[in-house]
Amino acid sequence: MKIRFDTDTFREILDSILRNKSRSFLTGFGVFWGIFMLMLLTGGNQGLKELLNKNFEGFAQNTCIAFADNTTKPYKGFKKDRSWNMQYSDVDRLKHMMPELETVTPSVSLWGRTAARDEYAYSSAVVKGVRADYALIETPKLMYGRYLNDADLAHERKVCVLGKKVYTTLFPEGGDPCGERILLGGTYYSVIGVDWREGGGVQINGSPSDMVTIPITQAAKAYNLGNNIQLLCFTAKPGFVMSDLTPRVREIMARAHYFDPTDEQALFLLNTQLIFGIVDNLFKGINFLVWLIGLGTLLAGVIGVSNIMMVSVKERTTEIGIRRAIGATPSQILGQIISESIVLTLVAGMSAIVFSVLILAGVELAMTEDGILKAAFQVPFGTAILAAALLTLLGVVAGLMPASRAMQIKPVDAMRDE
Amino acid sequence: MALIELKDLNKTYNNGQPLHVLKGINLSIERGEFVSIMGASGSGKSTLLNILGILDNYDTGTYTLDGKLIKDLTERQSADYRNRMIGFIFQSFNLIGFKTAVENVELPLYYQGVPRRKRHELAMEYLEKLGLTPWAKHFPNEMSGGQKQRVAIARALITHPQIILADEPTGALDSKTSVEVMQLLKKLNQEEGITIIVVTHESGVANETNKIIHIKDGIIGQIEENSDHASWGASIIK
Repeated sequence: MKIRFDTDTFREILDSILRNKSRSFLTGFGVFWGIFMLMLLTGGNQGLKELLNKNFEGFAQNTCIAFADNTTKPYKGFKKDRSWNMQYSDVDRLKHMMPELETVTPSVSLWGRTAARDEYAYSSAVVKGVRADYALIETPKLMYGRYLNDADLAHERKVCVLGKKVYTTLFPEGGDPCGERILLGGTYYSVIGVDWREGGGVQINGSPSDMVTIPITQAAKAYNLGNNIQLLCFTAKPGFVMSDLTPRVREIMARAHYFDPTDEQALFLLNTQLIFGIVDNLFKGINFLVWLIGLGTLLAGVIGVSNIMMVSVKERTTEIGIRRAIGATPSQILGQIISESIVLTLVAGMSAIVFSVLILAGVELAMTEDGILKAAFQVPFGTAILAAALLTLLGVVAGLMPASRAMQIKPVDAMRDE
Repeated sequence: MALIELKDLNKTYNNGQPLHVLKGINLSIERGEFVSIMGASGSGKSTLLNILGILDNYDTGTYTLDGKLIKDLTERQSADYRNRMIGFIFQSFNLIGFKTAVENVELPLYYQGVPRRKRHELAMEYLEKLGLTPWAKHFPNEMSGGQKQRVAIARALITHPQIILADEPTGALDSKTSVEVMQLLKKLNQEEGITIIVVTHESGVANETNKIIHIKDGIIGQIEENSDHASWGASIIK
């Protein structure tokens, strides 16, 4: 007699499962919980990663930022603790002497300035003077208008790009502000664009939402900065590792400004590549942990299923004995126990997948702002399919031990039940 | 040729201390007989019944059932013989608790591969024969002992077995129901000509059968012809 698989067999299995509800529930719950946790964790991890990557959005990942600080070592007749400034000419100096660098661009920032328009005022604005190629370092997310261009710089135009917060304060009525004028330090600037980036995340000299970006040439004139610049941002050409280039940058700057090339504090170099590397490793770690915990929970669930099946086989000794006495072969018993196990794990696992997808969808709903999804928390379809396949396999594995135990039950055992 | 033929059957249990339970049983039972096996507990009567029912194996000797030597069978063969040749009735009924009466009766046919509709029909037929039609959809725990035993009898009958083996069929029933069950078995034997072997330690129950086989310490003692049902101790029942 072969193990048949038809609606009859299936009904027999279903009856066994449905008419022993608490037993089936307990058995299935272990797997349900395992899959549920695994799905939730992978989905959550995915979303978290996207959220964190949002912070680095529009930020060139191979950037180095340089700024001048007081010297700490005496050098060539200068005593230590001397203050110095980077000059506008350093941009060209670096650019010429280091062809490995892609973009070299300066910036100046002035904090706590007031931007005003009619009766509206924003008092904690950061006025940032940059060149047009600064967009290669921090990519603006333009809601309206455009960014600075080379003509703005060449003609020292009084134009500005507003940060989100500055815009919402000065233009509470909303709408395209381009062409409107705002007052900044006694000078009127016309708005040419709005940068919609959020605060938080990686920021250089203040939150992007507080920024009022103007041409650096105009800033130098309006704020009497002369040739001094505050920050020098540069990126490496593809194929070059930033940390290999920074020692030479320091050397070039030291020669030009007479400080000791070994004086690490005189020229502070912030290599973002290192930071990104740390974040990357962090996520690798979290990922590993998620899978460890998820698979661990799943394994515990499967062992739980196996365990409860074991107990239930013990409990069902009489039933199995009776079945054997009236003509069931051991292979039929084996088939039944394993089939029951597969059906249970599949049903439990599928509902876990559905349930976790629903919860993740809820999380996504909560993360949606202005109709724009901030981060996708969903489990990839492939992962879900894989999980389902894994489940069937686990069902067989979990049923194997109890089934072999059930096979050893002799019909005589049924009669010794008292 | 007799339906059941036992020759010098020996069985020893090896649980710790070897226990020689059956010490050379010779027995033959003809088709259509209504026999009881009597003995005190520990006499080996249950072991004998298990061997007769192919639920247990024996060490030496031969057991022939309907001309087939029952020895060293594969699990599949013995399951098939049990299914087609033997009907079991147990002391504790041994119905499956989560199945209704009719589903319990159907079960042997399920293992024969009979289609669902057909076996349901047959099972209902047998339940009707035993007067249990109104109880067909009830679960065992909703029925009385007598009803449960009748369901078990229906289950034993449904495959048209050669023999029915009853292990203390009245052991869990009150005396009134016991009489009913024994009458039922008697009727089946007389009307359908089914061979029935009852294991019991109650002489009243044994007295209802036509032949009483006494077993003591693993050896068959006396074999009593009892066609007039006037054996000693006959007064307990009736």
